[in-house]
Formats: sequence, C-alpha cells, structure tokens
Amino acid sequence: MSDENMRESMLDMFIFETSQLIEQLEQLILTNEKSKCFNLPAINEIFRIMHTIKGSSAMMLYDGISSLAHSMEDLFFFLREETPEDLDLLSLCSLLLEGVDFVKDELEKIKIHGKCTGKSESLIKKIKDFLNTLKQKAPASHLTQEGEQETLEKQQYYIGPDKSAAAGYNNYRAVIYFEDGCEMENIRAFNIVHNLKDMSNEVLYFPEDIIENDDSAKVIKEKGFEIFIKTLLSMEEIHKFFIKTVFLKDLELRQLEDDAQYKETGKKRPIQVEQVPIKVPVFKEDYKMGEEPEEKGSQTAASQSIISVNVNKLDKLMDLVGELVISEAMVTQNPDLMGLELENFYKSARQLRKITSELQDMVMSIRMVPLVSTFQKMNRVVYDMCRKQDKEVKLEIAGEETEVDKNIIEQISDPLMHLVRNAVDHGIEPPEDRRTKGKPETGKLTLEAKNAGSDVLLIVKDDGKGLNREAILKKAVENSLLNKPAEDMTEKEIFSLILFPGFSTKGRITEFSGRGVGMDVVTKNIEKVGGNVTVDSIEGEGTSITLKIPLTLAIIDGMNIRVGNARYTIPIMSIRESFRAEQKDIVTDPDENEMIMVRGQFYPVLRLHEVYSVKTDISHITEGIIVMVESGDKTLCIFADELLGEQQVVVKTLPGYIKSVKDIESLAGCTILGDGSISLILDIAGLLNSWGNKISTI
Amino acid sequence: MKGDVDVAKDTMRELLEQEEDTQKGKFLTFSLGNEFYGIEIKYVTEIIGMQPVTEVPELPEYIRGIINLRGKIIPVVDVRLRFKKPFRDYNDRTCIIVVDIRDVSTGLVVDSVSEVLSIAEKDIVPPPEVGKGFSSRYIKGIGKVGNDVKLLLNCNKLFSNEETDELNKI
Amino acid sequence: MKKVLIVDDAAFVRMSLRCILEKDGFIVVGEAKNGFEGVKKYKEFQPDIVTMDITMPEMTGIEALKSIKEMDPQANVVMISALGQQSCVKEAVLLGARSFIVKPFKEEHVVKVLNQVLSI
Repeated sequence: MSDENMRESMLDMFIFETSQLIEQLEQLILTNEKSKCFNLPAINEIFRIMHTIKGSSAMMLYDGISSLAHSMEDLFFFLREETPEDLDLLSLCSLLLEGVDFVKDELEKIKIHGKCTGKSESLIKKIKDFLNTLKQKAPASHLTQEGEQETLEKQQYYIGPDKSAAAGYNNYRAVIYFEDGCEMENIRAFNIVHNLKDMSNEVLYFPEDIIENDDSAKVIKEKGFEIFIKTLLSMEEIHKFFIKTVFLKDLELRQLEDDAQYKETGKKRPIQVEQVPIKVPVFKEDYKMGEEPEEKGSQTAASQSIISVNVNKLDKLMDLVGELVISEAMVTQNPDLMGLELENFYKSARQLRKITSELQDMVMSIRMVPLVSTFQKMNRVVYDMCRKQDKEVKLEIAGEETEVDKNIIEQISDPLMHLVRNAVDHGIEPPEDRRTKGKPETGKLTLEAKNAGSDVLLIVKDDGKGLNREAILKKAVENSLLNKPAEDMTEKEIFSLILFPGFSTKGRITEFSGRGVGMDVVTKNIEKVGGNVTVDSIEGEGTSITLKIPLTLAIIDGMNIRVGNARYTIPIMSIRESFRAEQKDIVTDPDENEMIMVRGQFYPVLRLHEVYSVKTDISHITEGIIVMVESGDKTLCIFADELLGEQQVVVKTLPGYIKSVKDIESLAGCTILGDGSISLILDIAGLLNSWGNKISTI
Repeated sequence: MKGDVDVAKDTMRELLEQEEDTQKGKFLTFSLGNEFYGIEIKYVTEIIGMQPVTEVPELPEYIRGIINLRGKIIPVVDVRLRFKKPFRDYNDRTCIIVVDIRDVSTGLVVDSVSEVLSIAEKDIVPPPEVGKGFSSRYIKGIGKVGNDVKLLLNCNKLFSNEETDELNKI
Repeated sequence: MKKVLIVDDAAFVRMSLRCILEKDGFIVVGEAKNGFEGVKKYKEFQPDIVTMDITMPEMTGIEALKSIKEMDPQANVVMISALGQQSCVKEAVLLGARSFIVKPFKEEHVVKVLNQVLSI
C-alpha cells in the first residue's frame, strides 16, 4: 500500500468512524436530555467517544476537532469523577450539541476539500467556562485534570531487597536524554527507574518529582534525566541496559570512584529514604466500569461481523452486474441461435440466468441501508424546533428497520427533514392552544416507514391543527394555481395544492421552515427519485404526508419504445396504459395542440418525434402507439412508433459533460440494451414539467 | 507520517514528470477539411472508427450524442460543428478520438486522423492576439512542422462551459 | 517476522497501526476492540508484542494488561496513551508495560518503540 493510498484510506476510515461516533453521541445526548439526567454509563460512553475523536483527529492533524474533543473529554472527566448534583442539563446539552454540529460541519468540509477550517476556540471557551463554573460549585475538588494527581508521598528513591551497603557495589551516574517529541519524558524516566529497581540496590534520580509532577517532563527534555545507581552490575551490563532505552537520544554514563563520591553527588538532592512501595493512583474508571453492570441505554456497539465498503466500489459492482445481465441477454438471446434446436444450451442458459438474477438481487441487497439513522436524525430536528418554539412534541418512530437503496436515502433525507420541521412549525399548536382544544399539551409526531411492493412508504403524521380547506383554496386562487373550478375538486386535490410551486406562504417564514422553500421542493426531490407525495388531513386533528419512493434507483422495470431509429425507456410505474389511437378520438385545438379522448376525458398528446426532433416514417397518429403516462396528478399521452417490450434495465447517468452543458429535465438517464445500443430513459415528471405548459391550459 | 506522505507525493510528481517528459511535445494530428490540428498525446486514450451515436435531445448540434464504449457511456462531440464549420457526412475515414481530460472521457469526431508528431517548443508560436474565427479561442498555439502548420488545441477550453448559460436559456 | 496484536476501540487507530506495522514487516495477527477481546486474542495468537489502548469500553487497557501479565509475565505490552493520561501510564509501567506510545503518534516512533522493546 503506497503512502498516498494509506493516507486516503485512513481518511476514509477517519470520516466513517468519526461520523458514526458523532451520531452515537447525538443520540446519547438526546436520550439523556429526555430522561433529564446523564447516568454513569452514558457519561462514560461520551467520555470515551470524545477520547477517541480527540486521538484520531489529532493523528489526522485536524486540530480544531481535536482540541474541541479534548475540552469535552475534560468536562466529562469531571462529571464522571464528581457527579455534580445541580447540573444545568439544558445548557450542557446545547453545548454538546453545538460541539456535535461543529464536528459534523468539519467532517463535511473534510469530505469536500480534504481539510477543515472551522475555529472551535469560542466553543472551547464556553465549554471551559461551563466546567469552571461546575468546579467552583463542587466541594473542594481533588482533581485537576484527567490524569488525577492524588497526593502522593514524595518518593524518588528505591531500595533493593538487600540493603546492606556491602562492598562489591558499583556506583554509577547516568544522564539520559530523550528524543524530541517522544512525549511524557517523566514517565519514560519512571519506566527506567522501575526497571532498574530489580537490578540495583539503590537508585537516586533527578528531577525527583517525576511521578507527581508532570511538568518535570520539561526539565528532563532540557537538562536530561540524571540517575545515581548503586548496583552489582558491571559497567558493561549497566551500559547495555541503558542503551536499550526507548527513544534514547544521548547517554552519559560514568562509573563513580567510590561511595564518597556517590554520596557527595547524591547529597545535593533532597532525599527521603522510605521503604513504602510506590503508590500510584488507580485509574478510577476501571473499577467503576467493573462495578456498574451495563445498563440499558448505553449504546456500546455490539460486536458484529460487519465491514465497511466504499460506496464507489458498490456502484462499480452494481455496474458490472448490470453489464453481466446485459451480456447474458446478448448471449442467450443471440440472433444466431434463432431456429436452432439447442436443448442443452437452453438448459445451461436458464441456469446462468438464475445465477445472474440471484447475483443481481444480492448486490442490490448490499446497497440497501435501513432508515434508522435517517429517522434518528429527526430526533435532533424535533428537539431543536421545540426548544426554539416552546412547543412540546414527542416523536414516535416506527419501521426504522425498513431498508432502502443508499442513493435514495441520501435523496430523501432533506425532504423528510423539511416535512418534520413543517409539522412542528405549522402543524402542532403551542401547548396553551392544545390545552384549550382539549388535546394533550405534548404534540405527537409519528414517523413511519413500511414496505409496499417495490416501493417504500414514508409517512409523517402529526396531531396538530390540520389543513384548512378554505385557506388553501383562497391562497391557490390568489396565486392562480387552480386549473379547474374549486367546487369540482376533491379534498385530496385541494390538499395537494400545497405541493405546488409558488404556494409556499411568504408571510410565515420562520427560522426553520418556509425559508423561501416550500413543499414544492419536497415534491421535486421525491419525484427525482421516482416517487410521489400525497397529503391527507383532517382539520383540527392533524395532517399526514405520505412519500412513496422506490426501493432502488439502480434497476427499474422499463418499457422500451421505438421512435425512428431511437429507443427510449419509460419506467413501468409511470405507465397507466398503452393503446392504438383512433382518428375519431383526436381533437386539435386552435393552437395546434393535439388531444385525445379516452373514456370521455381529454388528454394532451406529446409526439416524441416532434419534441425530440427524431426522423421517423410514422407520423400519423393511428399508425403508432399511444402510451399514457402519469406523474403526480398530471397525465400525458406519448406518441411513439411502437412498443419494443418490457425489460428490467440498469439505470446509468448521462455523462457529466452533457449534464454540464444542459440539464435535460425530461431524461432520467440511459441504459444499454441487449444489442449494445443505448436507450434514453424518460423522466416522466420532468417531461411533464418541461413540456407540460400546454397541459395546464386544458 | 505526514513526512512520508509528502515524500510519496514528491515521488509521484517526479514519476508524472518523467512520464510527461516522454509524452511532451508529442501531438496526435488530425484534419478538418484542409486544416490540420494537433492534440497533446497525453490526453488521448484511444482512436475508434465512427459508430452509431445515440442522439440526445435538447443539446447543441455539436454534441452528436452518446456512444457505448465497452459499457461506458461517453459523449461525442463533432469538432467541425464545435468550430462552427459546415457539417460533412461521415465516411470510412471519419474517426472518433477518445480523450481523457480531467478524468472525463469524451469522443471527438474528426474528418481523419493523420499521425503522431513531435513539435519542439521553439517551433510553437502563440496564436495571433485577435482571432477572427470562432475556433481561435480553442487554439493555444501554432506548431510549425517543415512547411506545414498545425493548430494546437487547448483541450481545457474545448469543453469549458462558457456557453452553458446561453444554452440553458434555450 | 514479529507477530503483533493491536488492541484499540477506535477502528481508525487500529487501521493506522496496522498500516504502519505491516509496512515495516510486522505481522498483525489480530485486532481487538476492547480489553476482553484483547486478553482472549492474546491467548489465541500468542503474539510477540501487543499495542494496548488505555481507554476502552468493557475492559480497559490497564485491566487487560494486568490479565495478560498474570497469564504471561514475559508479555511485551506497549501502551498507546493519549496526552494527559500520565497517571494511567505510570500504573501501566508498574504493572509491567514495556513502554508506551503517545497519541497522536508518528510512524517512525511506533516502529522504533516496538523494535526497541522486542530487542530487549
């Protein structure tokens, strides 16, 4: 592995692990906030999370994150040791969440630019101030910082088992210099003294406060560590011992002439001769951890045999499997095989098809991710909203184990957040209103996911004030959004008006929802992944918004159609029906717009060869085929030459260069057909948008 | 660790420089009508014959569409049309030069491909300050080879998005 | 070739250490996410040397060190400590840790400490 690769994979791992930890931290904070206290396992957990983040980010040289994590670690060290009684939980949580947000932001920056730029100083100061206030309140603390320094008997003196100052002992003086940057020089010195203990009769050293005073490291760094030894070992042996010191930069070793000199030099130092074995404070955590049974709520990661894989690799694998599916079709449906009797061949081909389709399913399932973390993020959203707006809302989550393709999860996270904000902001009433209405003061927001065939339904439901029919109609009229008389509209149609662009009320912009973006953005995002949005509401009782999204984007069921030499694929889920038109059903309006009557209803006709300027011999409406497609509540009849058949297709995006030249709204991508030719996949929602101007006039 | 990464970066740079050295001054030349053009060899990944191109709607004429290059979908640009020259029917000499610029593969349709030439730095002169033709924008130098003149393409400009905004207005 | 066992709860640190050590010719025989796993894998793999993080869930590095040393007094355990954990390192030294590395560590430091410890 080259260094370059190493740094890259380390960075990936750093981002992956830190994001996980931060998410875990966020959940911990929110659960504890809810239960109004931080229990010991939680405190330990947070301490450990901060400790890990501190270490990792320092290794990656992300000082902003590292020092922030350090300050939080200090804070939780204090909480763990002192368990202060009157803890200001709200400020603590908001401080922590601020930290969570900072790290999240930095991680985003790292993902994009590979470096982080945020300044955490002010936040660190806030955390330190908070800690200081706690410390002042706490009864005289015996702690300073993490490495707690309990009162230690001053000792710098070892006496070996045999203390008789008999002859035969050699006296040595050694000065040891450590390499720069090896850190904790005093402990390294202590390590030496500890090892010397077994082989010598007496050890004196300077600086003598290496155990209790960590500042002694500085002295050792500058002046070296000086040791006087009385031992039976020869010069050679003692030399051998010293040069094995880790991080040894320089060693001065000299045998002292006699006892007198030893005493002379040694005497300069204050010596305390005690035989108490050295006592080192015990790291309390160990015992606390041991005593506390693991409590529920502590989210210690269960050991799972899970590996993390780069998404790019999965995408690539998906592509390859797609290729395989195509190749398989190219072989087994090869025109050269036409009319041949090949029993064994077809038997093997069937086996091949079975395996490829199993492989395809398996790869798809690898890409599936449960919605749990997307849903859990909403806890935070609700928390923030409630605090800012003085509302009380309980978020209930169901079906979070439902799995959706990773790419889709990324697309629905923002719309979902928008809906949740909307629900708390506009849906759920303030507590006093709720009380007068006889509802419980705490509002209820439900987030639910469930499977429905090849789709997943996401439902955001609140028990707030619901939608007001008349108000919606009024606003729709003001913004001229109605395309048919209000009295002809069903309840559902009226409610779905709130999804239209331009409906969003500018008069009610709050910090959270309605920042100029309305529900139409939600609709647009969901339609982008091939889903749709429906609204249900009962005034006074609440609103429920359902997002229907496909399980996956990568492979769709498509209907291939032909126009001239060009091939197009229409997602089956958008197709209502297809049929051959009869001349008598065709009407042309004064603007030359064609319409077709189906069961008494008129639908606009879109001739693909015209809008895409494709040459074809089939231009008469009765010669080709009509494919009726729909998206949202709009319907359109596409006129094409012929249907080529249904097929599962692997969706590929159009090349970036083309997208940069023009974002073609009516195309969802392209796919490679069995014969190696390319078919363009139509985006029905986009098609309706870009060519739908004439539709609304009907 | 940082030190080592830096070292690795340096080595990488050196290697790249070496490789660039062997490719430096080498150009793949092709013709558009009577004019000869050169494109730096380091951008060229392969040359393929003309093949069926899937047209993509709503795009400017010079983007002919997309092709399936061994499972990879790449866009195809007709250099003639890009330079606002009249369209000429494709024949068996028509080629697609596949170039890789900033990790993006694109096919360039040209009348015919000639040869790979070395052009020394001293034989390359900058294009005239005020280019009359539309194409002069995409020329970064004029190489002299004997009595012939090759127009050297500026690959980065070729796919720049200066016109994107105009297009999106359409 | 020397066998190493890496004990650390942070996957990032485990990966860094593995990269560094494998580059330098060590064989990483195992990784453990906490002290328990560390002790278990020590029995299993009998590594020549162990890198041991201090702050870990379930069983800390100090406790794991204690258990390993009880099992095998000759065990070579090098602590991986963060700045500020002086007192824990002191305890580890008393319990028989051969040496220690301070996070954030440099590649050459890690290699040096391990080689030095193994040469003793």
